[in-house]
Amino acid sequence: MKGWTGYILRVNLNDKTWKKESFTEDFAKKWVGGRGFASKILFDELKPGIDPLGPENKLVVALGPIAGIPAPNTGKVVVAAKSPLTGFYGDGNLGSNVSSQLRKAGYDALIVEGKADKPVYLNIEDDKVEFLPADEMWGKGTYFSNEWIYKKHGKNAGVLNIGQAGENKVLFAVIRSLEGRAGGRPGIGAVMGSKMLKAIVVKGTKQIPQADPDLMRKLGIEGLKKAHELDQKSGWSKQSTNAVLAWCNEVNGLPVQNMRKTAHPEAHKIDGERLNDARIATYGCPSCTMHCGITIHDDEGRESELDYENIGMLGPNVNVFDLKKVGSLNYLCDDYGLDTISAGAVLGFYADAIEHGATKGDFKFGDADKAKTLLWDIAARKGEAGSILAEGALKAAKLYGKNSADYAMQVKGLEMAAYNCKSIPGQALAFGVAAIGGHHREAWIITFELKHSKRESYGPEKAAKVIELQRIRGGLFELLPACRFPWVEVGYELENYPKFFNAATGLNWTLSDFWTAADRAYSMIKLHYLREFPNATRKDDYPPAVWFDKANADTDGPQKGVVLEYDKYDSLLQHYYDQRGYDKRGIPTMDTLKKLGLEAEAAEAAKQAELN
Amino acid sequence: MKVTVKLIGPLIYEGGFSEKTLELPGPMTAGELSAFVKINRKRPTIITRNGKAIAAGERISEGDRVVISHIYSGG
Repeated sequence: MKGWTGYILRVNLNDKTWKKESFTEDFAKKWVGGRGFASKILFDELKPGIDPLGPENKLVVALGPIAGIPAPNTGKVVVAAKSPLTGFYGDGNLGSNVSSQLRKAGYDALIVEGKADKPVYLNIEDDKVEFLPADEMWGKGTYFSNEWIYKKHGKNAGVLNIGQAGENKVLFAVIRSLEGRAGGRPGIGAVMGSKMLKAIVVKGTKQIPQADPDLMRKLGIEGLKKAHELDQKSGWSKQSTNAVLAWCNEVNGLPVQNMRKTAHPEAHKIDGERLNDARIATYGCPSCTMHCGITIHDDEGRESELDYENIGMLGPNVNVFDLKKVGSLNYLCDDYGLDTISAGAVLGFYADAIEHGATKGDFKFGDADKAKTLLWDIAARKGEAGSILAEGALKAAKLYGKNSADYAMQVKGLEMAAYNCKSIPGQALAFGVAAIGGHHREAWIITFELKHSKRESYGPEKAAKVIELQRIRGGLFELLPACRFPWVEVGYELENYPKFFNAATGLNWTLSDFWTAADRAYSMIKLHYLREFPNATRKDDYPPAVWFDKANADTDGPQKGVVLEYDKYDSLLQHYYDQRGYDKRGIPTMDTLKKLGLEAEAAEAAKQAELN
Repeated sequence: MKVTVKLIGPLIYEGGFSEKTLELPGPMTAGELSAFVKINRKRPTIITRNGKAIAAGERISEGDRVVISHIYSGG
């Protein structure tokens, strides 16, 4: 086997043991890496119904055959576990030197089992694994602990760490790296915290195995140059992802006031132009060709790294239109290790719930100072509000009652990203059928809907577009893993990625092979879901009720009176299921599973629930 | 004919402005307006008029608010 190292490092925190395990070429070719590896490993090794925050849950860090090799945006790592937020498989990716360092240490994946009896961090150096005390970092934020690790282990070390939110098992705690990157939105940081694991530090000195190193080097260097040129030519990096904020405001897709509204006259105060004006530095991931992290001074003078999702959710979604104040909220989330999207959604939900009488409190939309206090309360699980909101919007809504779940802006428990889709049905579907809950990374089709379809259409072309993008964004790029931005934002050709993969592995794959592997990973995640929720229904793939509520429609502007329609959304969902080969519950049929070579996994899932 | 044109993202730096009201020399389509404000014809864009997407061949009317954007892909 070439391209893969062929080894997984398995670490047990109960007894502080570790072992190096090999995997077969068949496993590698079937699951590729990243999300594929993680979803398969966790399906095989976790019993359904386990406590996601108990020692029986496992944390998987997964890479793939081009991870860490110099080529466009290959510095990505997938982190996964059973999610405490959603109750089934959850994952995320983040930029980190772990991508190259773990591969150089000789591993394509790391599995962390058990729970330490006191705070520890893992130090992995090639074939050596140490369980070191983390007392000096425990209770501290991610900036402190990252810096502490750099001082002790050097700045080239690959680092994954958590903040206080992870330690306190906040259900939307993330894992952080490089003092600016975050991943694992469905509470993967909380899983790490539940294991008393503050950080993972990795250094390797071996060669990453490649079938044709000379070709890989040539393709990689050409690719880095080309992707960078495309970015420079397009001007994308001027405003990075936050250029879309002004556009969302123009087309009534901005999340304002817990997604009650779709545009705001003060949106220009936090748009891409203002962000570019306020820029003091720019950051990216390893092997990045188009740095997306724009750093500004926040309200307290600290450096805060922003992009669209965190501005959208911590800004307009809570009616804060002061960029420095948004920067402060973002800084605190990053330091505490809170997911910025979920944090913004939870704050917006809380203000909404107070306004609608579902709970009592002194937080109002637009109160950035109180929001700062609340973020700490959440990260520390301090007080009643902090403890409840630390559970995420859906669980908080279930506690508050009074129909507040209708406006908890999530799907399957995972809060949705910064696009208000009550008049954008295709993107509402994309959130509804995202593999792990309301995530935007797998399919984003809003410009397709407006330019190449009709905004009001619920037709099969939108389901087809969602599937096409899921295969690329949630499949190809999550399996390799690599960042999708060069392709998705500046047009770096998709056909380059099989070339990289083939140079690394010696195989002869086409994009079509990746679509099969992507469909397999999606079906695998669906089987996770079915196993945990045997009574799964298609209603689980619906966005929140407030998007269907006429009383919540825009009262003026081009989308006045428009909301999603239940019957039409359901038919759009059926188009998606039909094209995917899923049954009426949204679960892959036996025929689909067989075509993907998932007979054994289907038999395992069938112990808990019926398959059609 | 007066129209308001707003450019989004990198187009601001290409066109040299963010938003302004323009007096057009005569009737124009959306595509012609895009070229008029010096947006490279080869660059894929999405154009909206008064909040709704329009094709490049559609005519612009007095008082319209036209937004020309790079095609975003949701990060």
